[in-house]
Amino acid sequence: MTIVIGFEGSANKIGIGIIKDGEVLSNPRRTYITPPGQGFMPSDTARHHRAVILTVLKEALEQAGLRPADIDCVAYTKGPGMGAPLVTVALVARTVAQLWGKPLLGVNHCIGHIEMGRLITQANNPTVLYVSGGNTQVIAYSERRYRIFGETIDIAVGNCLDRFARVIKISNDPSPGYNIEQMAKKGSQYVELPYTVKGMDVSFSGILSYIEEAAHKMLSSGQCSEEDLCFSLQETVFSMLVEITERAMAHCGSGEVLIVGGVGCNLRLQEMMGVMCKERNAKLFATDERFCIDNGAMIAQAGWEMFRSGQVTELEDSWITQRYRTDEVEVTWRD
Amino acid sequence: MAATDGGMNRESEKLEFSLVVPFPSPREASIALGSLSPDREPRKGGISKELTVTDRTLSVKWSADEARILRVSVNSFLDNLSLVLETMQMFGPPASQ
Repeated sequence: MTIVIGFEGSANKIGIGIIKDGEVLSNPRRTYITPPGQGFMPSDTARHHRAVILTVLKEALEQAGLRPADIDCVAYTKGPGMGAPLVTVALVARTVAQLWGKPLLGVNHCIGHIEMGRLITQANNPTVLYVSGGNTQVIAYSERRYRIFGETIDIAVGNCLDRFARVIKISNDPSPGYNIEQMAKKGSQYVELPYTVKGMDVSFSGILSYIEEAAHKMLSSGQCSEEDLCFSLQETVFSMLVEITERAMAHCGSGEVLIVGGVGCNLRLQEMMGVMCKERNAKLFATDERFCIDNGAMIAQAGWEMFRSGQVTELEDSWITQRYRTDEVEVTWRD
Repeated sequence: MAATDGGMNRESEKLEFSLVVPFPSPREASIALGSLSPDREPRKGGISKELTVTDRTLSVKWSADEARILRVSVNSFLDNLSLVLETMQMFGPPASQ
């Protein structure tokens, strides 16, 4: 039996989760929510995390019904992400690991998403679409690496959605993406937007500039509604993602797709991916907001796999890093 | 301080700042050192910071080119230090080894 506690705080969510051999014992989380029209800045986000992290840690232990002595390993997000929030979370992880006399383990955030998705859905060897506010990648496993087949060449799809939400002052509570999804359901008219797939890669910054420029004009002239814009943006960017995912599947001969990351809980994206999968006789796997959106259990789960395969991180090597690509990690826990 | 190499002593033009933090025991001082040491200063130059522990005291020494850079580094260090102290208060004392 191996019990791992995972600390995550690379963006505006702070989460601490405990995993015991594939079972999620607890997974509390807090989100730093900014007013409409505003994004989250690193230092403010770190301040938010500092203010709540110890309460969240207490909750995680209490909900799991565990004492620190029961834990085998302390995992935390090493990167990628925003520097100040990452440091905040790493500090607490390092301190408790030393206080409790437990080994420490630095986890790649993207690997956390993939391993949590695999655990929850039991997908065996899927082509992974990882879509969030900071990352957009199509990934497939081969020879001890999660290899990136396609990715964004500029901003992440979630960043495109979040920043569009700011333009027309959509609420950030519970998240801008969720509110866009709800408004998109009421959209009826498709407004044509640039469609930018470049080989296996995608680009979202041009779409964002276009819609930022056009939104107020089209809205004030009554050419379309806010709901129409939400609908059109979702249809466009999700089509692009489905296209590159399908191409990666064709390359790999894969029959499974797993969607992970915060944007992955968008039901319209899941629906569009489902249509593609049906046409190819492939299986679609996705999870809900508890595990798609950044959380502590995903770091615990990746940490569990790493720890069981013999990895630990020495204190002096436990520095955080804002850049940390998915394919930098040697996957020592898969064949 | 570093010796001069025949020319102007540039070291002496640096701003310096030092901080002394007492802990209940040497063990806690060394845990704080372990938690606060791994992350490097974000910028490439213009500032250096040295952490040491003697008995139950953590000492930090900064040396910087500009007051502005020094302030940012000291501020964020104090934020980090208080988080480590709070964590020790809530989840300590250290388990016996």
